[in-house]
Amino acid sequence: MKKILLAAAATFALMTGVANAADSRLNTALERGKLLCSGHNGSFLGFAEVDDKGNWKGMDIDLCRGLAASLFGSSEGNLEIVPISWAQRWPSLQSGDIDVVIKLSGWTQSRDTELNLAYSNPYFVGAFHVMAHAELEAKSVADLDGGSICVSAGTSTERILAAYLENNGIEAEIIVFEKGDEVKAAYFNQRCDGLILFSPPLAATKATAENPDAHVILPDVLALEPEAIIVPEGDPKWLDVQNWMLSSLWFAEINGITQANIDEVRANPPSSQIGKFLGVTPGYGERLGLSDDWAYNLIKEVGNYAEIFERNVSGPYGLPRAMNNLYTNGGVFYPLVVD
Amino acid sequence: MVRTYQQYGFLSNIRANYFATRLDATMTLVFSGLILWVFWNLLNWGALNAVWSAENRDLCVGGGKGACWAVIDARWRLIMFGLYPYEEQWRSAIACIVMVGVGILSCVPWFWNAKRISVLWISGFLIFYVLMRGGFFGLTPVFEQNWGGLSLTIFIFASVSLIGMPLAIMFALLRRSELPWIARTMGLIIDIFRSLPLLAIMFTFAIVLPFVLPGWMIGDKLYRVIFGYALFFACYQAEILRGGIQALPAGQEEAAKALGMSYWHRIGYIVLPQAFRNALPPTINQFVITFKETSLVVVIGFFEILASGNAAFGTSEWSFAHVEVYFFVGLIYFIFVFALSRYGAHLERRLAVADR
Repeated sequence: MKKILLAAAATFALMTGVANAADSRLNTALERGKLLCSGHNGSFLGFAEVDDKGNWKGMDIDLCRGLAASLFGSSEGNLEIVPISWAQRWPSLQSGDIDVVIKLSGWTQSRDTELNLAYSNPYFVGAFHVMAHAELEAKSVADLDGGSICVSAGTSTERILAAYLENNGIEAEIIVFEKGDEVKAAYFNQRCDGLILFSPPLAATKATAENPDAHVILPDVLALEPEAIIVPEGDPKWLDVQNWMLSSLWFAEINGITQANIDEVRANPPSSQIGKFLGVTPGYGERLGLSDDWAYNLIKEVGNYAEIFERNVSGPYGLPRAMNNLYTNGGVFYPLVVD
Repeated sequence: MVRTYQQYGFLSNIRANYFATRLDATMTLVFSGLILWVFWNLLNWGALNAVWSAENRDLCVGGGKGACWAVIDARWRLIMFGLYPYEEQWRSAIACIVMVGVGILSCVPWFWNAKRISVLWISGFLIFYVLMRGGFFGLTPVFEQNWGGLSLTIFIFASVSLIGMPLAIMFALLRRSELPWIARTMGLIIDIFRSLPLLAIMFTFAIVLPFVLPGWMIGDKLYRVIFGYALFFACYQAEILRGGIQALPAGQEEAAKALGMSYWHRIGYIVLPQAFRNALPPTINQFVITFKETSLVVVIGFFEILASGNAAFGTSEWSFAHVEVYFFVGLIYFIFVFALSRYGAHLERRLAVADR
């Protein structure tokens, strides 16, 4: 049912979308004076949460704030987080309820082609891992041979687990539960030896367990999902802004520019490249249709990639940077060339 | 019927009713033991071993045996008001109280005529809207997508019932029209709506409609969803009412016709009052279901009370405390639904006077 509705919505969007192809979402947002960014219906640990006063926080929210600061100089008063559910994100993007989807969304072929979406470079690589009780002394998923693993029903996780076990000839029983809370409760009550989850929630589950040391996250990567920012297809200007925003976060990190020291660096840029990056000399913004100091505003608002990651994901939940590191530290991310 | 055992004392009553045979005695002991055990554990968990204050959060983590009500202490405003701006939440609270007050007042028989009840509800809705939306009298505007928590749940429920009920009456009457093409078309519409899941209807009204309607007809997502839900409600309620109408002896309407009463008089004075009385239990049922199913709006991104509860424990400090939050939200649902069904039972007793 949901699939049919989504397809119908996408078809309508295609018809209306063609007519509007001439003007970019970039101009729409700039003219409006406000960025409409995706939120969540509830909470997704580490990426979109709500604090005691009803304000949004999280990694995805920080990227929204950064994008708003890039466009308008500051996110204050220029950003609206629109609460939307997972199922709603594509139709909402197509209908213009939101300008961009930053909602931990994986890059899959069907979304990329059939749903008329365009993906930025990934900003987060999510892996599926298995957590096991420490007393089992398992070193890898293969050690759970003959045991059991808990999984939530109806998600891609179930397929990923089944495929991994089959491909590696591991004989483990798959125990399926309907809801996320149930799966965790079952695992903690020793109903199963292992629990498979996407890495951010898995780290959160471990961090908030009664005794976090009683559980180990096994190193096997069962599957990998690259998460990217999504804009409507056929809007290259808007997509460029997303890619260069992400690149700027990594560029700042690799050059040691942080929220705290950015004013010093800007006052006294160590190289002409960094001077250009921070808008001391013109060029970096103009080509994108932004102000030349947009990257300065971006870092000033949310910090570099390492700071965003630490604040939202590795700080509160203890998820290691691992693959989400810069290439210089064994990760997969790198800035594009600033010239 | 005369209940003779009332002539005995309290103790002998208990013996006669619960300990008459050996089997009775065993069953009484086993079940009362079980109930006591459950209550004792619940009391232990919920009160005696519980952590009450947000400052004592650390006591909850690791090895806490009792409930961690600290999460409610810290996050209750998020649960009750959702994303509504923190400084303005008093408005949401008052709006909520006004709406509940209107609901309670409309249970008082003095308000039971068309003029009084409509004045009550229209003024109630106006106060609610002005308070919540702002933009008048120096109140800062708060847009519908930031409404949330209990006031959103109550608003959706009240609007759906208020739009849905007159629609339901209309649908039921059209369904019984003497012109077959009207009756059949109406029947078809009702059956189509009843055969679709509510979730799909909400999704369609919220997300697909903006693509097909002209711009001026779209309106806010919240109102589209309320309208779709009201249609859904009306189709079910219309069938309930039709059941109530068909239970009436045909002779009544014929007699009213013979007396020369007009259609509206027949419907308004003879048919509908009795139909409502016949249909009261399923109608209360329908209201209860409607209240509970407001939680489905979460799929289109509204922070009704269940979603804001989800957000309340969805953070690194509190992600272990989902049971307590669900318990709290469940309690709120219980209060409303229980009040509704008790009122329904009271109404039934009151209306049954005529049958005695």
